[in-house]
Amino acid sequence: MKRDLISLDDLSLEDIRGYLDLATHLETVPDERKLTRLPGAIMMTMFYEPSTRTRLSFEAAMCRLGGRAIGFAAADATSVAKGESLVDTVRTVENYADILVIRHPKEGTARVAGEISLLPVINAGDGANQHPSQTLLDLYTIQRLFGRIGNLKIAFVGDLKYSRTVHSLIRALIKFSHLDFVLVSPESLRLPTYLVPPPEQCMDVTFRETQSLEEAIQSCDLVYMTRVQRERFPDSLEFERVKDAYCLDADILQGAPSHLRIMHPLPRVNEIAYSVDRTTYASYFTQVRNGLIMRQAILLTLLGVAP
Amino acid sequence: MSDTDRVLLIPKIDNGIVIDHIPPGFGIAILEIIRRDPAMRDVVVTLGLNYHSSKMGKKDLIKLWLDELSPRVVQHISLVCPGITIKKITNYEVERRYVIRPPQSARNLLRCLNPSCVTNTEPNVDTNFTMVDEEKKKLKCMYCERVFSLKDLKPIIP
Ligand SMILES: [Zn+2]
Repeated sequence: MKRDLISLDDLSLEDIRGYLDLATHLETVPDERKLTRLPGAIMMTMFYEPSTRTRLSFEAAMCRLGGRAIGFAAADATSVAKGESLVDTVRTVENYADILVIRHPKEGTARVAGEISLLPVINAGDGANQHPSQTLLDLYTIQRLFGRIGNLKIAFVGDLKYSRTVHSLIRALIKFSHLDFVLVSPESLRLPTYLVPPPEQCMDVTFRETQSLEEAIQSCDLVYMTRVQRERFPDSLEFERVKDAYCLDADILQGAPSHLRIMHPLPRVNEIAYSVDRTTYASYFTQVRNGLIMRQAILLTLLGVAP
Repeated sequence: MSDTDRVLLIPKIDNGIVIDHIPPGFGIAILEIIRRDPAMRDVVVTLGLNYHSSKMGKKDLIKLWLDELSPRVVQHISLVCPGITIKKITNYEVERRYVIRPPQSARNLLRCLNPSCVTNTEPNVDTNFTMVDEEKKKLKCMYCERVFSLKDLKPIIP
């Protein structure tokens, strides 16, 4: 049976730990040995909307395992612009590759591709729904920063209403235990209530809301920042009022506990000042690096190749 | 004439199917589903609206002179109106009776409400829903992964 990576909801805690353990193991594998893992393998990147970072990360992961990447980076450059259906495109391009990576603005597209194709399919983002490799690299980063996923106090800051990254990470984290979430957002961008599970469905996980970023910084182990986007606000005055309330700089981090770490899915705009980059708290470029390792783990797992 | 007497004037069915305990107002919707099944074209049907019911106050009722409803029609009815009773009648007697429940999954029976769902934007992609909360009758779209109340979802009429 071929394996896909479409949604975190499909993964058990054991599956997630499998990816984390493989990524951890890959840290110890020398580069030249990695290059012998997937020689001749071809990865097809089907990007119907641009996402340079994600695409480059997958391509680099494949190249470092000795394989190659081909594909398209925008729908208008392909026969899609001529009206070809997704089904036909998948049935065509699967003849050219060993694994498909698909990003598409419509939710559920990767699932359809996975059902049609005989090849393993990786969802690299389907609209507002899922982006599982981002979630796995976030979990891996947490594991590497703290040595565990559990017994942690994690603040999510900014746009908690629309952030796919935050929703997906919370849905994955509640499969683990002993976590306290602190939600910091403007009133209009609060976390949707359906993401807060009833207490009996998870092991010792709590949710608390606050509007104070300062308080979250002092009390948490990890602060996960997101971008507050202007277009989410019907009233631009409200945006002007809240945008700086959730802006991290070296000043606000004065006196923060030394074990505090800051993550951000990138790209950032104003929510993390460049002055933070030089502090020991900054972990967002570590995330990028971990993304490369995690995507190698994903490619090896789905192609059934030992590290 | 009493309500009970009026009900007795509807022809008794010798061999066929009775769909009973339909909440008032849903009889026509269910008849519409049945009517669209090509196999039902020549079947004799009676529809009763607002019958007296000791249990429900009022109810609708459909009688069909045929052997079995197709599974697809039953599934469709179960989505519109779970909880109604289907009786199989043989020689004027109830041979079998079952209450239909909302299905655990529904492939290509319901349309997803999310306009950005691939099932609404790509041609030839079937919808697929799974029951995630039986009590509250909530179904999850297996593509966009959003959860909806059954009552909000519209059936796909073939
Ligand atoms: Zn959907």
